[in-house]
Amino acid sequence: MNNKTGVLSFNWDKTLELLKDSRIDSVGLNDRVDSLATRSIKKESKLEALNMLVSMCDLTTLEGEDTEGKISQMVAKAIVPNPNDLEIKNVAAVCVYPSLVSIAKEKIGNSSVKVAAVSSYFPSGQVPMESKLLDTKYAIDSGADEIDIVINRKAFLEGDYRKVYDEILALKEVCGDVHLKTILEVGDLRTYENIRKASLISLAAGSDFIKTSTGKLSVGSSRQACYVMAKAVLDFKNLSGLSAGIKVAGGIRDAKDAIRYLVLIKEEMGNEWLTPDLFRFGASSLLDDVLKQIKKLKTGAYQASYYFPRG
Amino acid sequence: MIEIKKTYKNYVGGKYVRSESGKTFTLSLKNDSFEVPLTSKKDIRDAVTASKKGFQNWSHISPYTKTQILYRLSEMIEGNKDSYIELLILGGSTRNQAKKDIETAIKNIVWYAGFADKWEQVAGNLNPVNGEYFNISHQNPIGVVFSLNADNNSLASLLNSILQPLTVGCSVISFSEESSIVALKFAEDINNSDFPDGSLNILSGQFENVYEDISKHVEINLVSINKEVPTEILTKIQENASNSVKRIIYMPSMDGISSVLPFLETKTVWHPKGT
Repeated sequence: MNNKTGVLSFNWDKTLELLKDSRIDSVGLNDRVDSLATRSIKKESKLEALNMLVSMCDLTTLEGEDTEGKISQMVAKAIVPNPNDLEIKNVAAVCVYPSLVSIAKEKIGNSSVKVAAVSSYFPSGQVPMESKLLDTKYAIDSGADEIDIVINRKAFLEGDYRKVYDEILALKEVCGDVHLKTILEVGDLRTYENIRKASLISLAAGSDFIKTSTGKLSVGSSRQACYVMAKAVLDFKNLSGLSAGIKVAGGIRDAKDAIRYLVLIKEEMGNEWLTPDLFRFGASSLLDDVLKQIKKLKTGAYQASYYFPRG
Repeated sequence: MIEIKKTYKNYVGGKYVRSESGKTFTLSLKNDSFEVPLTSKKDIRDAVTASKKGFQNWSHISPYTKTQILYRLSEMIEGNKDSYIELLILGGSTRNQAKKDIETAIKNIVWYAGFADKWEQVAGNLNPVNGEYFNISHQNPIGVVFSLNADNNSLASLLNSILQPLTVGCSVISFSEESSIVALKFAEDINNSDFPDGSLNILSGQFENVYEDISKHVEINLVSINKEVPTEILTKIQENASNSVKRIIYMPSMDGISSVLPFLETKTVWHPKGT
């Protein structure tokens, strides 16, 4: 596990330096990202990619209707994604609201699946700082291994970057050893420049991961956004020596699309990032398609979703 | 005046599409020839995805509305009668044969349209059981049906491979080889008849290219074969189908109520009489 805990990497002045040149050549970027989507991945490589996808999945349910029953169903699926094929190992984590963390933790038992909680008043984050801290503390006290927070988009879009930075810093302090993932909500940020700036601010303030979206907007993750974030993570590594992770979430429904993200990460960041410690997918329905595709590869027959577990 | 020849395309999910592979094959009729789509395995997969969605919508439409939509189909064909007749003549029929064929087709659609809100009473059942219960055999459409059309130059024959599953609420992927032109033209009338997208899909191609995938595809619930196929291929289809407990029917009956029974699944419901 990549550990940057306790390292308050960049003070505000240094962070400002980072943000200085955030211009992005969007034409070139779009071209590059499109060209990476044309790779054809076949047979053994595809199977390997699919298994990798399972290991990188954060199985997620973030609804008002979530109940104990729904969580235990999802956790069961996280531990054994397909009871008919035990070669498929568990997913990386389950992602739930703070009030359900203790239930998820209990159901997971001694499996290696992590529990991630969204906090700081996900998905809007439109509350005073005290409430965000409280929300996060509660999730950690309930046993969360990872915390997903949202950046203060109000402050960001108003140009108050300092506030965005300070809030993440304060939340990182609360987290301590607990893994901190910072959600940029790229759909709200709108431009590539904004995504890059938000990425760098989040990284400088000590995030272990940066994450594209909450999944609550109609605009979710995109490979373009992922590319911008990948570049920011690399630049940050060159300056600080710290490797942060990326989590893409929102709107990634099929294995084909997800594999394109893997190609992008491998080409732009290298094999080092192709691990659940540094790259994750947040998705609720992606896993179903991945399981279907694995079975298709093994049997040669296209599958129906009703033969796979729900959750 | 230049004569403009129509490009016939597959009809999938309510849209006219070329084969994803870009391939076509030449269909030589007695008096003309056409380039028609050569359906690939990927096209089949797309058609199944569309049909699954189509099944959700079509099976939930009320029997009464199904009647209306099927009847509208016959109205559409009636309006295009002349162009069908010309097409059948290109395929080698005489004008009289062609006219008779279209009339039979329309007659059959009207019969099935009337049947759409009646089959459930006829096929379902109240079973005698010991105890104070109603025991009901409730009939449900089986799901996505793949139907291989015969090679006859005939609209009536095409409809005989489609109407039975469609009437009870299945979605249908109709696949034609030598008789593709009539089928692809028929797609235009489906498009004008208020059928939900994906409930009835029309493909043209070579069955030998796709039978392996069709018989293995778990989301196809029934394969109906309306033309003679070699025994070894039929055996292979049955073997593959057994892995997903898929129903295979070879040369299905066209006769009244028995024509729809293979496309139904029975759900048994117990209900207390409350006496």
